[in-house]
Amino acid sequence: MITKHLIGNKSLIFFGLLISSCDPLVNEFNDIEEAIMYRANNVTEFSAQDTIKVMTWNIRFGVARLRFFGDGCGDRVILKKNEVYEALEDLAEKIKMEDPDILLLQEVDVQSKKTGYIDQAQWLLDHTDFNYGAYASMWESQIILADGLGRVNTGNLILSKWELDNAERYQLPLRGDQDALTKYFYLRRNVLKARVNMPGHPFYAVNTHATAFATDDTKRKHLDKFKSILDGIVAEGNFFVAGGDLNEIPPNASKMDYCLDDQCEGESFHEPGVYNHKEGSYFAPEITWLEALYKSYKSAIPLDIYGVYETKHFTHSVDINLTLDRKLDYLWTNTEWFNGRTHQEAIKLSDHIPVSAKWVVR
Amino acid sequence: MKKIVKIILLLSCGWLNAQWEGESATILSHGRHEIGLFSPFRMGLRNGSEISVNKFLLMPSISYKSEMSQSHTWRKAYRLQLTYPTLAMRWLQSPLGMKLGEPDKFALISPEFTIPQMLSFYGEIIGTKNLPGNSIITLYGGISFASILSLGVKKLDNRATIDLPGFYPRLSVYYNGVVFKTGSNYLHKLSKYWSYLIDYDMFIMPSSNGRYAFEHKGLIVWTKNEKFRSLFGYKLFAGEYPFGSQAHLIPMLDLQFGW
Repeated sequence: MITKHLIGNKSLIFFGLLISSCDPLVNEFNDIEEAIMYRANNVTEFSAQDTIKVMTWNIRFGVARLRFFGDGCGDRVILKKNEVYEALEDLAEKIKMEDPDILLLQEVDVQSKKTGYIDQAQWLLDHTDFNYGAYASMWESQIILADGLGRVNTGNLILSKWELDNAERYQLPLRGDQDALTKYFYLRRNVLKARVNMPGHPFYAVNTHATAFATDDTKRKHLDKFKSILDGIVAEGNFFVAGGDLNEIPPNASKMDYCLDDQCEGESFHEPGVYNHKEGSYFAPEITWLEALYKSYKSAIPLDIYGVYETKHFTHSVDINLTLDRKLDYLWTNTEWFNGRTHQEAIKLSDHIPVSAKWVVR
Repeated sequence: MKKIVKIILLLSCGWLNAQWEGESATILSHGRHEIGLFSPFRMGLRNGSEISVNKFLLMPSISYKSEMSQSHTWRKAYRLQLTYPTLAMRWLQSPLGMKLGEPDKFALISPEFTIPQMLSFYGEIIGTKNLPGNSIITLYGGISFASILSLGVKKLDNRATIDLPGFYPRLSVYYNGVVFKTGSNYLHKLSKYWSYLIDYDMFIMPSSNGRYAFEHKGLIVWTKNEKFRSLFGYKLFAGEYPFGSQAHLIPMLDLQFGW
C-alpha cells in the first residue's frame, strides 16, 4: 500500500506552471513505454538453469516497519538516510540468503525525498547478486504538494541474473473515484514486462502493483489488464513468471473485513446505521476478482493449500502490527511452480512478506 | 510649462539615476517610495540611504542600503539585511491548518520537523557604473549568516529543505549557516519608454547537499513614468539540489509603482 491521501485545489495548477521545467511537473506516462534499464556495477555471468527461483516482494520503499504516515497510522514523512540504508541492508541480506534468480519488487524508490533520494534500484543491484534491472515508475512528480512529501519517484522493479530486454511499462487505468486534480498528482500504477535472456531459454518476467485504496472498480480493471498482458504472452507461445502486490485477497479467504484491524487513533468505522469502511481494508465486494487468474494460471501457493494453511501464507499486516492477517502478494505462471513459500520470517523487513517458488524452465 | 517641468524632473531623476533599480548602488532619493508585485517596499531616507521591507509579513525582513564613497567611475553602496524566517517556515508546514495525512495540503515542509527561532544576516557591497550608450552595469557580492535562537536546538534538520528553484538557495543559510552570493545586472535603454535588463545571481552554499544555484533573468522593461513600470520576461534557475542538478525556466512579470 502507499500514500492514500492527496491534494485537490485549482491553485496547484498555477503552482505547477510556475515551476515547470524541461521535465514535466508530473510524469503522466504513455499507455506503453520503454522501462528504465539498470545494470549492476559489477556483472557476473550466469549460465542457463533447469529450474530457477522467483520471488516477489513489496519492500515498502526500504523503510521496513518505520512509522511512515502514508500507509498506516504513523507520523513520519521524511526518513533519515541511515534508517533507509539500514533497512536496505536487511533487505539485501535476506535477498542474498534466498538467492532468487528473478526478483519482482514493488514500492522501490529511485529518487524520493522521503527516502533520502537513494536510488534503491541501483543500490539493490550493487548489493545483491543480480546483474540487470528494469524499472517502471508508478509515481513520478517533482513535487507533491501535501504533507511535505516533496519529490517522488517510486515504482516496480524486476531484477534478474540474466540480461533483460524488450522491457515495457504498461499504464494501468487511473483511479475513477478521484477528482481530476487529485488524479493528476496521484499514483499511476503499471504492469512491467521484460524478456529474460537466459541462454537458450528466454522467458518473460511480469511485475505489477494494483491499486490499494480505490473504492470503485479500478482494482478490477488493474487485475484484468494484468491478466490480459499475461494472456498476450501465452498467445505468442511464450512462458512467463509473474507476480506482485495485487492488493487483493484470495477468493477463499476466511476474512474480508479489516476496517477495525486497520483503524488508526481517531478513526471509527462500522458505526451503527452508517455504511462506512476504511479505504483498502474492506474486500467483500471484490472477493471474486482473482478467480480469473486462479482459473487460467498456476499460483505459487495454490488455493487449496492456502485454504488449509491460510495463516502461514498471509503476506501483509499494516504499520507496526507484526501479526500478519491477509494475503496480498502472488506469483503466477503458465507452466508449473514447486516449493512455493511465504517467508513470514521477514516480517520486520517490510509491511509485506516475500513469496518465492521454483519454476521449471521449458 | 508643466510638461517642461515634468521633462526636467524626468531627466534629473530619470532612469540613469536608476530610481527603479533596487539592485544597483544607486540610492532612492529622500522621500521616494517604490513597491512591486514581486519586489519589496523601498523608501529613500536622508543622507544617501534607503530601507526596504519585505511585504510578506510571515517572513519579515528589513534591509538598509547606504552610499559609499565613489571610486573612479563606480558608484558604491553597501546593504545590510536582517530576516526572520521562522513564522514563514512554520506556516509552510501547514498552510491550511491541516494535520498530517488529512491531507496537509500545500505543505512544503513536513510537520514532523521543529522549526526553531532563527535569524539571518546578509551583507553585500554593490558597485554601479554608467556605460557609454545608455547602459548601466551593476556588480555585487555578499555573504549571509544565520543563527538559531531557540535554546537546545543546534541545527535545523537538513531533511526539512524545500528542494525547489528559488526556495532552496534562499533558505539554504538556515540549514548550513552560511551562503555566499554574487551577481550582476545590465540595464540598457532602448528608447524613451523601453529598456531591457539582464541579470544573474550565483549562490554558493558550502556544506550543503546542493552546492550552488545560478539564476538568470532577461526582462523587457516598459517605464511609463516615475510612478509606474512593468517588467516581463523569463527567469532561468539552474543548480544543484539534494537529488542532483536541474534547470527550470519560468515566465516573469512584475508591476512596480513609485511615488
